[in-house]
Amino acid sequence: MQSDVIIETRNLTKVYRDFWGRKKVHALKALDLEVRRGEIFGLLGPNGSGKTTTIKLILGLLFPTAGQALVFDRDASDVSKNERIGYLPEESYLYKFLNAEETLDFYGRLFDIPRAVRRQRVADLIEMVGLNWAKRRQLKEYSKGMTRRIGLAQALINDPELIVLDEPTSGLDPMGTREMKDLILKLREEGKTVLMCSHLLADVQDVCDRIAILYQGELKEMGRVDSLLKVRDVTEIRASGLSAVAQEEIRQAIERHQGQVLSLDNPVTTLEDLFVNIIRESEEHPGRRVRGVSQK
Amino acid sequence: MVVDLIDVTPFLTWLFGPGWTEGFLFHTLPLSVFLLVMLGGLVWLVRAIRAKEGLTSPTVGVWISVTLTAAILVLLIGLTVWKSLPAETTASISAKFVQPLGWLLGNQWYAGAAYQWLKTAIGATGLVFATALLILALRRGPREAFVVTGQSLGDTVLDVLRMSPRRVAALALLAVKESIRRRVVVVFALFILLLLFAGWYLDPQSVDPARLYLDFVLTATTYLVLLLALFISALSLPADIKNRTLYTIVTKPVRTSEIILGRILGFLTVATVLLVAMGGISYLFVLRGLAHEHELTADLLQPAEGTKAEKDAKQIALRGATSRVHHHRHKVTITPDASGAGIVERETQPEQGHVHPIKVRTEGNQTAYEIGREQGMLLARVPVYGKLSFRDRTGQPTEKGISVGDEWTYRSYIEGGTLAAAVWSFEGLRSEDFPEHLPVELSIEIFRTYKGNIEKGILGSLSVRNPKTGKKVEVRFFEGKEFVIDVQQIPRRLSTPDGKTVDLFKDMVDEGKLEVWLQCAEPMQYFGVAQGDLYLRARDASFFLNFVKGYVGIWLQTAIVIALGVLFSTFLSAPVAVLATLGAIFGGFFSDFMYRLATGKTYGGGPFESIIRLVTQANVTSELEPGLRTNVAKTLDQIVEFGMRLLASVLPDFSRFNFAEFVASGFNIPGDTLMAYTCRTLGFVIPIFVAAYLCLKNREVAQ
Repeated sequence: MQSDVIIETRNLTKVYRDFWGRKKVHALKALDLEVRRGEIFGLLGPNGSGKTTTIKLILGLLFPTAGQALVFDRDASDVSKNERIGYLPEESYLYKFLNAEETLDFYGRLFDIPRAVRRQRVADLIEMVGLNWAKRRQLKEYSKGMTRRIGLAQALINDPELIVLDEPTSGLDPMGTREMKDLILKLREEGKTVLMCSHLLADVQDVCDRIAILYQGELKEMGRVDSLLKVRDVTEIRASGLSAVAQEEIRQAIERHQGQVLSLDNPVTTLEDLFVNIIRESEEHPGRRVRGVSQK
Repeated sequence: MVVDLIDVTPFLTWLFGPGWTEGFLFHTLPLSVFLLVMLGGLVWLVRAIRAKEGLTSPTVGVWISVTLTAAILVLLIGLTVWKSLPAETTASISAKFVQPLGWLLGNQWYAGAAYQWLKTAIGATGLVFATALLILALRRGPREAFVVTGQSLGDTVLDVLRMSPRRVAALALLAVKESIRRRVVVVFALFILLLLFAGWYLDPQSVDPARLYLDFVLTATTYLVLLLALFISALSLPADIKNRTLYTIVTKPVRTSEIILGRILGFLTVATVLLVAMGGISYLFVLRGLAHEHELTADLLQPAEGTKAEKDAKQIALRGATSRVHHHRHKVTITPDASGAGIVERETQPEQGHVHPIKVRTEGNQTAYEIGREQGMLLARVPVYGKLSFRDRTGQPTEKGISVGDEWTYRSYIEGGTLAAAVWSFEGLRSEDFPEHLPVELSIEIFRTYKGNIEKGILGSLSVRNPKTGKKVEVRFFEGKEFVIDVQQIPRRLSTPDGKTVDLFKDMVDEGKLEVWLQCAEPMQYFGVAQGDLYLRARDASFFLNFVKGYVGIWLQTAIVIALGVLFSTFLSAPVAVLATLGAIFGGFFSDFMYRLATGKTYGGGPFESIIRLVTQANVTSELEPGLRTNVAKTLDQIVEFGMRLLASVLPDFSRFNFAEFVASGFNIPGDTLMAYTCRTLGFVIPIFVAAYLCLKNREVAQ
């Protein structure tokens, strides 16, 4: 029986030193983390807070100054753990002279996947990330969004149990962001574990089950997103079809119970929702969109 | 032909010492069993380790460390004790130790390269282990150092044994694609361009155009391919680290050993393809560049002088020269055969190292001469060398000849008109190898104490002597010329001055042994000779194969350069890695000189002593004034020399890998030399691979 803890860090510490061994940055201070099977775990923090350092330590790209990072109960320096990991780096660091098919085939070989399986999986993944039309083009001709997609495809080539995503939505347009988030949620449905880091709070809020907030290399907060964000002393009421009179009545009712009305207003949708709606609408009804465009 | 290419006997001699034939192991049956058991054991070990998961546990790590430390201590103490023992004791112990192994491996196994290699490997492993232990002990304390060092040594072995061929192939293919993307083809285009314009500066009037052409193509190929190997190998890994493409590689289940090996193999593939292409084109270029035919018409020939009777019988030889093609013409002598009706088919006189066959056709009164294509231009002579010794002017054996004051002491001189002689002793001559005559080729240097007739050579004589009976027969006098290979033939039947004939092999050769004596006949003139100057030309090997062997030599050098480039690129940035590799190559080319400098075999001392000489304008051979200054300089020099000696013994000696000289001067590259240098290349590449592995393994890729 496999343990339910996929990633465990114990007292994980990283100090960057310069050439002479002098201390430069204390990037990570004694981090203790646990990521469990089947959850989406988000590392949150401003730039330079130690998110990426943590991920690199977990992947064995850096060696810890002290402490230990365990993945699937193996030390991070053991390459065999990589069999079950998919990693999407911050920017997709791929070979620009290969095309999409060659890229995926190459990474497939690195997993020692037999030829027939490899071919099938490469075709499926290119289909999934929607790059079928560009699979023969060298990556240097790709746009940022396309590079990101092929990067994601290479991270999934081995059908990994753990997916590590470093700033998964950076550089993506709103549609791409939404697709990425949907995909992450889909991966969870398939029973995979996701570790992601981001400084885009909205993204983290939308997909993560649990988050850890880092600041200057220290763990400041960790827990379930819904419980962390729940504001316990505020009640939200949402209703439709209320007249102004009815609204006034409700306001009075609240005041009668010694409550304080914070706001009573028509809600505003998020820009992301608006944007996504417009795009979806345009795809369904191509042509010039009249409504919403200001008339001069 | 294959036997010629891989001559096993001398190779085994090189590997296990001259006595290997007496070893029990080298009989067919024990050898096959031994090889099978070794192979089976290796396969079993690899499979067993590959089936197991996980890394070296701390317990095993400690075990490895303890065992190795104990082994090093025992070895060190043993060596110290050994050196302090009296000579007789060590001799008797070593006899006891050597003899049982002699039964198995032959009585001189310790003289072979295998033993030296083993010794070096053990020394290197010990050194790496001790250094790692020391560094870790200083940084993390002795306890952890013991565990970690042993563990990482164990992991290294596991890592190498668990390599996956598919991953290595994928990484090699990537390296090939990367090289193509870096426009390797440009180098090939450059080579073609070089060949196109080569005609401008290859001197067409040269004495030996074949040598010129071969030298040119081999040198051009060597430098181009080595430079290319240097750049593609040293730039690749730093670029991957800088672009961070390595992140996506090392986060896959890729072992460090696979990254290194894949790269080396990939770049080697590129270099191989390039070498094959360049070699093919070069071969055609040389063939076409040297191909030519002459014409010979009747008006180019003049009848030689002769008696009237000969003239009447139409037995006068015709003399003349062919038409001028490729800046030379051949002298020809056409002799009518005894009947006078036909004419003997002959060859032209040699010019620029080749001859042409002549065919004569007579139709009625018309005589037509057909001159064929050049022959003997591209050769792969297989020489049989003898051992050179000297006789002084009174005929007594002496170690060396006379020095004529030449700084280059390669050749030693014999005085003319005296009993002084240079004697080459040959062994293993068999009559069936030389059915017609014993072909002797010699090239000598001449030192004249007076000018004499400068147009003419100095007369010398060649004799053979039976080493057992001491019977000596003069073969012929000849005109000694400089800078050319003089071809002499010792006939099977020799005539003695008293009118008798002796058989060369029956009377002169004793159990395959024969001495060839060279003497200078003119007083006050000297012949300079070295061991390689006179040899028997047993037969000719295929020139094409020899040409290929020359390219194999370049390939071996390329392999070392690629390995070095990859090694330096594991821990240095791109430009520094290029410079370091370049430094190693240059150092390698001069490692011989460095070694001589470091061991005090050159004049003028080390760098500090040389500075004193420079400043004080002292001659390199004069003794320096004793005193503090000189002592300080000499002590400092000793420190530098120690470093240089270390460096010289570590760097690959590229100059010796260069077989171009063999091919260009038309000598066969011996198969065992090639094998020996192949092993030598492996001897360099394997430790470089291990060093590169350790460097990359312990590097933080993401920093």
